[in-house]
Amino acid sequence: MHGRRVFLSAALVGLTAKGGRRVEGSFLDDGLPTGHRLTDRGRSGRPITRVPVVIVGAGVAGLCAAWRLRKRGFRDFVVLEMHAEAGGNSRSAENEVSGYPLAAHYVPVPNRESTLVRELFDEFGVMRDGKVDERYLCFAPQERLFLHGRWQEGLEPEIAVSARDREQYRRFDDRIREFRATRQFTIPIDAGARASELDRLTMAAWLDREKFDSPYLRWYVDYACRDDYGARAWDASAWAGIHYFAGREHEDKGPVTWPEGNGWLVRELMKRVGEHVRTGATVHAISPNGSRLRVLAGNADYEAELVIFAAPTFLAPHIVEGAPSAHDFVYSPWVTANLTLDRPPRERGSEPAWDNVVYDSPSLGYVVATHMTLRTRVDRTVWTWYQALADGDPAQNRRMMLGADWRHFAEYILRDLERAHPDIRECVSRIDVLRIGHAMARPIPGFLTSESRRRWASLSGRVLYANSDLSGLSIFEEAQHRGVRAADRALAILGRA
Amino acid sequence: MPVVLFISVFLIAACGLIYELIAGTLASYLLGDSVLQFSTVIGSYLFAMGVGSYLSRYIRTGLVTQFVYIELMVGVVGGFSSSALFLAFAYTQGFRLLLYVVVIAVGILVGLEIPLLMRILQSRLEFSELVAHVLTFDYLGALGASLLFPIILVPKLGMVRSAILFGIVNAGVALWSTWIFKDQLRGRTLLRGGCAAVLVLLGAGMAFADYISSAADNSLYADEVIFARNTRYQRIVLTRWKDDLRLFLSSHLQFSSRDEYRYHEALVHPGLAALPGARRVLVLGGGDGLALREILKYLTVESITLVDLDPEMTQLFKTHPLLSRLNGGSFSAPRVHVINWDAFAWLDTNQEFFDFVVVDFPDPTNYSLGKLYTTAFYRLLAKHLSRSGTFVVQSTSPLFARQSYWCIANTIEAAGLKTFPYHVYVPSFGEWGFVLAGRDAYDPPRQLPSALRFLTVANVPELFHFPADMQRIPAEANRLNDQVLVRYYEREWKEIAR
Repeated sequence: MHGRRVFLSAALVGLTAKGGRRVEGSFLDDGLPTGHRLTDRGRSGRPITRVPVVIVGAGVAGLCAAWRLRKRGFRDFVVLEMHAEAGGNSRSAENEVSGYPLAAHYVPVPNRESTLVRELFDEFGVMRDGKVDERYLCFAPQERLFLHGRWQEGLEPEIAVSARDREQYRRFDDRIREFRATRQFTIPIDAGARASELDRLTMAAWLDREKFDSPYLRWYVDYACRDDYGARAWDASAWAGIHYFAGREHEDKGPVTWPEGNGWLVRELMKRVGEHVRTGATVHAISPNGSRLRVLAGNADYEAELVIFAAPTFLAPHIVEGAPSAHDFVYSPWVTANLTLDRPPRERGSEPAWDNVVYDSPSLGYVVATHMTLRTRVDRTVWTWYQALADGDPAQNRRMMLGADWRHFAEYILRDLERAHPDIRECVSRIDVLRIGHAMARPIPGFLTSESRRRWASLSGRVLYANSDLSGLSIFEEAQHRGVRAADRALAILGRA
Repeated sequence: MPVVLFISVFLIAACGLIYELIAGTLASYLLGDSVLQFSTVIGSYLFAMGVGSYLSRYIRTGLVTQFVYIELMVGVVGGFSSSALFLAFAYTQGFRLLLYVVVIAVGILVGLEIPLLMRILQSRLEFSELVAHVLTFDYLGALGASLLFPIILVPKLGMVRSAILFGIVNAGVALWSTWIFKDQLRGRTLLRGGCAAVLVLLGAGMAFADYISSAADNSLYADEVIFARNTRYQRIVLTRWKDDLRLFLSSHLQFSSRDEYRYHEALVHPGLAALPGARRVLVLGGGDGLALREILKYLTVESITLVDLDPEMTQLFKTHPLLSRLNGGSFSAPRVHVINWDAFAWLDTNQEFFDFVVVDFPDPTNYSLGKLYTTAFYRLLAKHLSRSGTFVVQSTSPLFARQSYWCIANTIEAAGLKTFPYHVYVPSFGEWGFVLAGRDAYDPPRQLPSALRFLTVANVPELFHFPADMQRIPAEANRLNDQVLVRYYEREWKEIAR
């Protein structure tokens, strides 16, 4: 609740009120209006293109399904994307300063069992001989935290932390190591996850049960839940919260990242499958037509044998005839913003890192696009600032998000950053705000064993669902895994296995 | 009685001049261009004194009380002037502003002193006597101060203590006046209390003078500054003491003209002289042109490319008469091509090959500079080496920063190259280290260019021997995603500074 109140009060102050410079900017095309037009069923009676496979959605899941089809020598498909650009949450943009991510901005160094990510990385030259190329591993310093008036290296709070807190950090690390050793916390989750009583608890309840009461540790865990799931620790499943920590065993310091974030991967994917992608093609309806499926898109209609539905699953009941309700999927709304800075702001403490987090802020901080440059010195840069609207009812948050004007968001963001960078207003020349209504699925308690999720993900019938929300975790690896599995299933149904 | 009075005139005159000298000296010391600094400081000081003299007409009553107050104010402002200026220079951007605020404040207060004193003494002496004596002692005080300042105060006490000492003299005069003029004065106890408080404050300043100096010390230079400029990338400061020119980049000593030949001969010749066929040479960093000077001694070298980030640096060393004399006009040689660009980014965007590369970057004091000492950097550099090509890296001190030095050697090895570490003694730096690297074994040169001042064919192989206290110790390789070198370096130099 605290977050929203701050959010609303921000608009009362003008953007140039503090003698700062004039900040320009706008909302980015975030598909919100189009998204809502989906509910109006499309027209029919136009020429129909016959194609064996239609992939709905050119986010990571859809593009990876396409990547898999092509790798297996299958070319008879189209990918329909409602936005003007492919990439979904992994879209990026570029200005005169740098390329920068709009949302998703990294992939952790893949574990041994993440074979698909390794395959993709090998093909794209990110990995060689099982090692990530040094240029794609996040440069040092990776992370820093603004705490008690200064920046410290690393996200685990260090400044003014007592021996008691440290003891709890150690105990927490030990517990995580134990969980990792069970090999149930895998990426993709399908490889190891088994029904667990941890999925019946919230992360906060698990912390209580384990007697973790250090405020610093609890902040850190809550930050992790907001960062990966857009949920507070008291809303996220304990299984998911633990997965954030136990799911990765880094040999190398990571993560893997690029100036434009995961937009780099989208560009590489598009080099391989771009010819199949139709952007600005909003799918209104998918309905059976004899043994085939009729797909009504904004500007063309298709008749397909199979549909890989890689768009967010909550859209399916509005589009796919006969699809069951998806009301038990909870999605977190997010706001991200790209800030163009004409000079580095003032600050105290450790050197600028790639990921910069302010302790006790409702936001998740910012990542720096120019961090991954080989240059020793940059004056202008682009920051991508993040906030999951994790508190309160998501639907209400979405309405609030759509109701506020750009000026309001810009002021809110500048105030958030002003704590750590007092002269931020004099450095920023532009703020572009992206509102994502259904940014990521939220793994609430019970998600792991959810019968509905299992049904959606079963890859039965002629519409194969592939969005990462079926994993409950909105991460690149899950999206790729779901896309590839759907592609394999499609080929099997078509008799190409 | 009058003699006692004139002694105080002598003292306050001396104090006034001392503050002026301190301001002028500090300004030329820290900003360079002493003619400009002294002229403007003296000019604004004298002008401010005029303002003070004019303002004295508005003081009508309680002359002695006002005089005591003014003395105390001069004591505090003047006494702490050099401390404040040093700290302002070290930690803020506002040195120049503070300088003139202090000069004008002290000037106005000092300008008030003599007119007030003359009015106080008016009833005791004939006017002609008064003017003659007061001004005589005023000028005598100035003479005393101007002799004392360079001969005793600066060498023995330093700027911070000298100013505070004279602040104490001002406060002493104030206290003394409460006795001399006791018949013209009311509320003596209060005034004396004030004097005592100021004396205690200044005394404490004297006791902590060392802390103040060392707090400011990092950005200070021992010698006269003859050039100083903040460029986009760094602060370039050039100092001179007799025939010794020193270059500081962002407060780090780069060379002393007295012994830089040792550094630059050792940087270039062990590697380059061992490659008789070298035609194309690359210098990364080295914007002072001194490595170029050594490379130009090889007539077989056809082309030398120098990549340095800072155009103002290379321009300065091309055009400044003292500096271009030092590098032998190397930037004007037709074989030399200068590119002002970030070295890592430049290597990444072109395909050229070189027979020999000199890597002469600033030490890895932060993560930005640390990128230039990573496996990724050396791997990329190796791609620009011709078949038998080598490169040499200035690698900080194997004595003071032993693990940092061996970390650089290990990093180059982790990039798949053979290394040949060596070191040399440079008096102004201490023991300094280099790492020569290539794909094949290294044979020391059989011939060196003529007229070298330090290296001989016989002593090159000796450079490759490390005494026990500098021998290899374990260190990890420095990678873009895990810059251990920056942490080693910070820890080791901190230990030295302690």
